[in-house]
This record gives sequence, C-alpha cells and structure tokens, in this order.
Amino acid sequence: MKAVLRLAALSAWSRRLTLGLTLIAIALAVTLLLAVERIRTDARQSFTQSVSGVDLVVGARTGGVQLMLHAVFHAGTASNNIGWESYRAIASHPAVDWALPLSLGDSHRGFAVLGTSTDYFNRFRHGDREELRFREGKAFAGVFEAVLGSEVAQGLGYRLGDAITLSHGLAERGPEHGDKPFRITGILAPTGTPVDRTVHVSLESITALHLDWVGGAPLPGVTIPPEFVAKFDLRPKEITAALVGLKQRSDVFRMQRFINQYRGEPLLAVMPGVALDELWQSVALVERSLLAISALVVLVGLAGMAATLLAGLNERRRELAILRALGAGPGQIFLMLTAEGVLVTAAGALLGLILLTLGSGLAAPWLVERLGIVVATRLPGSEELALLAAVIGTGLLASLVPGWRAWRMSLADGLTPKN
Amino acid sequence: MTALRIADLVFRWPRQARNCLEIPLLELGAGERVFLHGPSGSGKSTLLGLLGGVALPQAGAIELLGTNITQLGGSDRDRFRADHIGFLFQQFNLLPWLSALDNVLLPCTFSSRRRHRTGPSPRTEAERLLGHLDLRPDTWHGPAGELSVGQQQRVAAARALIGRPEILIADEPTSALDAERQQIFIDLLLQESAAVGATLVFVSHDRRLAGHFDRIVALDDINRVAPEHAT
Repeated sequence: MKAVLRLAALSAWSRRLTLGLTLIAIALAVTLLLAVERIRTDARQSFTQSVSGVDLVVGARTGGVQLMLHAVFHAGTASNNIGWESYRAIASHPAVDWALPLSLGDSHRGFAVLGTSTDYFNRFRHGDREELRFREGKAFAGVFEAVLGSEVAQGLGYRLGDAITLSHGLAERGPEHGDKPFRITGILAPTGTPVDRTVHVSLESITALHLDWVGGAPLPGVTIPPEFVAKFDLRPKEITAALVGLKQRSDVFRMQRFINQYRGEPLLAVMPGVALDELWQSVALVERSLLAISALVVLVGLAGMAATLLAGLNERRRELAILRALGAGPGQIFLMLTAEGVLVTAAGALLGLILLTLGSGLAAPWLVERLGIVVATRLPGSEELALLAAVIGTGLLASLVPGWRAWRMSLADGLTPKN
Repeated sequence: MTALRIADLVFRWPRQARNCLEIPLLELGAGERVFLHGPSGSGKSTLLGLLGGVALPQAGAIELLGTNITQLGGSDRDRFRADHIGFLFQQFNLLPWLSALDNVLLPCTFSSRRRHRTGPSPRTEAERLLGHLDLRPDTWHGPAGELSVGQQQRVAAARALIGRPEILIADEPTSALDAERQQIFIDLLLQESAAVGATLVFVSHDRRLAGHFDRIVALDDINRVAPEHAT
C-alpha cells in the first residue's frame, strides 16, 4: 500500500503541469471559500468586540441597525441630531449610571472625528469589558486638543504635540477647518475596534469649529480666529448619539420605553446586542449566498480535477498494465488513482489556506480602513477546518470516479492495454 | 519437475460466440526455454493473460509451480504473479517517470519474496543485472523514458529477472529492435534466464528467432480452436 501511494505520488509528479493547473484551480476556489468564511466570522467578531458594557445606544429616530452602525462604527450618516436638552434629560434620569455624548460628522484624512466628553476615556469598554488605555499622553483637556486612535497615529505618522486640521464632512477632501488646528495630547493603545481609527476631541471643540459655519458651509466673510472662540458659549446644542449605561440592567426595557416615548423630540434607543442580531439577520442571506457560491466554485474545481484524471487515464493505460504485470491488483490501481485525486485536493486545500493567510495579511489594512473589519492573520478556526475537511471529503468522492474507471479498465485490459 | 501445466483449458471472451482457446494439454519443465510460436490473432495475448492470472478460463486447470492458479482468489493470483513470474513485453515496458534503476527495483516493492531473493541489497542486485545487460552506469539514474528502445528493453529484462522468478514470460520482446540486435537480445535473455534457473516462455510470431531455444511449440498445434476464430 505504501509502495502504491509512493508510485501514485511519483506518477502525479511526472504530470505536474496538468495537475498543477488543476491544483491551482482548487487552491483558488478554496481561498475564496475560506475568505468568505473568515470575513464573515471576523466581521461578526470585530463588530461584537467594538462595544461592551453599553446598555442602550440613543439617537434620533431611525433604524436600529443604522443608529448602531453610525454611533459605534462611524459608518454612514445620521439622519438627524438630538438636542442637548434631550441628552441631559436622559443622562440625569435616576436609572442611568453614566452617559457618553457622541458628536460625529467631521473627519481627518478619512478618519472619523468624534466629539465626546473626557468621561469617554474612563467609561468606554470594548472586547471583554476592556478599558481604553493611553499609549502616550493623556486625554484632551481644552478646546483644540485631540486624542488619536492608534491607527490614526501610526498610519499618518503623528506624534504627541503635532498639529492637525480637521475636515468638514466625511469625504477625504472636504472643506477644511484649516483655520483651527488641533494639538495632539494623547495617543490610545490599539483596541482592534473603530476607536483605533478615530480622532477624539471635546464637544466644545466641535462647537468651536462650527461657530463661523452655517448649514455645512463657512459663512462668507465671517471668520472667527481660534483665540476668540473662548468668548463664545461653547456648550453643544446638539449631538449625534449617546451611549448609556444603567445602574441596573433590569431597567433596560423601562429606560428604552422612556427614551422612545420622549416627548421633547422623536428618539430611538436600541440595545447593542439586539441591533447587532438584527444586522446579522439582514446580512445572513447575503452571507449564505456567498458561501453557497464559493462552495459551488470549489465543486467546479473538484469536478475539473476528476475530469482531468479521467481524461488522462487513456494515456496511462500502459502504465496501469505495467503495474498489473508487476503484481498490482485492480484494488491497488483503484487506490492509486483515488489517492492521486485526494493528494491533488489536499495540496490544493493547503495551498488555498496559504494563499488566504498571505492574502489576508496583505488585505487586512484595506479591510480595516474601508470596511472596519479586523481580519487577523491566524491559524484556521474550527469552522474553517470543517470547511477544509468538507473540501477534502468531496475531493475524495470526486476521485472515486477516476479510481473506479481505472479499476474497470485494468480488469478489462489485463496485461495488454487495448488502445 | 513441471513448471507449467495446462490441462483441458477452455477460454472464451465475454459476449463472444466462440471459444478463443481450447488447450487439452501443455506441459513445460522447470528451466526449460520454450519458443511459443503463434501468428497474430492466434490468442497469444489471451494465453499470457491466463498465465498471469489476470483472466480466468471457463474450464480447465493452469498449474504453475504446482499451484493451480485458477483455484486462487483474485488478490492471491496477483500475489502469485508478483512472486513467481517476470514479464517482458514488446515495448513501453517501463514507467517513463522512474529511473532505470527504480524500474528494475519495482518487482521488489510489489513482492517481498522477490525482494528477499535478491540477497542483502536489492539495489546492488539491480545494478549487477543492469551491468550484465550491458547498460552503462550513466544510464541508470536518468528517467527511463529517455533511453533508446534497445536500452529500455534491456532494463525491462533486468526487471523481469530481478529476484529470480521461476517463470519468465516474454511477449515479442524483440519486435521493436532491428534485426541485428534481435538475436543479441535473445541470446542475452536465454543466458540470463538460464543463470537464474527460470522457465522461459518466449512468445513470437517470427519463427526465425526460434533457433537457440530448447523447444518450439506452435500455438495452433495445441489450440483446437481454428485460428481465424481466435482473437
């Protein structure tokens, strides 16, 4: 048996060009399949890790998923803002332990700018209730001070004390708030969440930036230099959203009802877990379709392999007859052909895994930047191993066809191949 | 002692109206070197398949070295063939992607009996045989597919001889060689099979090659089926 497998490997090596192309087709199909699976699980992972310990996310009335995506992942735009008075009413509610105001809408070279309170750095939790840590420096204290997420600092090469200017809107080249530079006071340690890609400033800074702006454009002829902004009332009038923590989790439905029925303006409160579940449900169909399509691509690759082996059999009739004359039984011939198919499949699967590992390493920065998905370069997870096993199992089934054909052929041919 | 005995053999291919072979009796002694003559279409290949145990007759016995192989199961017949019979065919005998040396060693991977009978080192024995068959060491390690036809046939002969099988069956092994080399090859084969003490069955349609054999058997004489009906 070992000798037969060794011969199968040597024979396969002699046809390495044909089999190599088949192998590459399988490898690419496997890469696609694993990539879909990995992005699927890593997307869930990074979304789930992004916020922890928050009982309610509050914003203007919109979809729960939309609010969640905007407030936590800084994706998309808010339909509306909420008034500062509404925020105060919620934050001072007896059931509320803490509340963090969030003001979004500006950006710095593609990174979102978040206006918030200094409490944010103490209260915000991610992953498994992990706190934010400063790699360097400290929280902003005054107006025109900024704290950078680790990727912002690393990607743009900023250090403490550097000055940056913000852009209005999320476009990479929006109108600049060039007249009011910010000084970097702190840089956060990496978290693997959207925090890494965020520039944090105070709410007052956001107000100050827009003193001489109306309706998304600078007021013509009016400029208020930074040194004079302190003379204005910088208390925010509006924020985009708020994160709320309760004293008792059991109050969550009561609080949610209070916010949703708030009389001052239409508000929406969502539980992050519920909103994420809703999100997964809405993307589940897409996920499953993608998985099904990539599974089909793998099947096409394996069918191609079986066809290649079958097509090659006629030219190998003599080889099989020689092996028969040397004492190989039809069973060994069957084994040899089947083993060849399994070998090609397994090598293809392995190469696919290697391609995925290399590819995910190369694509990781892009995925994080564009989609906010942290794709870790890591060993395959149990679901990926199950997929690989399924691929090899299917490869075995596909290889039974040429194996069976060779078995029939060697029985019919005996020692003298009929061409 | 009898090395090969066929008695009352009847063979017919599936879905054929007539028998292909009907051989009442054929006996070959141990160490005998026999020229089996048969024109093409006389059922030579069929007979070789029966001797190799890859086909089974409808009736009759095929005794090789005292074992009636028609009584053996399929895998036992495969093992018997690997252990006791060396085959040599017209051409393309070798696995082109193995070296000449590895081709010669192949029977030792299929049969532990043949491996043990090579002595302490199968490799040394393979090299000795290749040397005996006038193959220079520089031809031993390259792919067998790159050798000339004559060289390939000599490698195939070395492979048939390794591990001293009791029976050597050669099916038109010289038909791809030019006339001059045919006789040289046959003499080499006769000499080597005598050296290992094997019974040699040399099958050919070309009577002119029969000169140096111990005995000549015409298939048409022992087969009762008229030749035009055989395949």
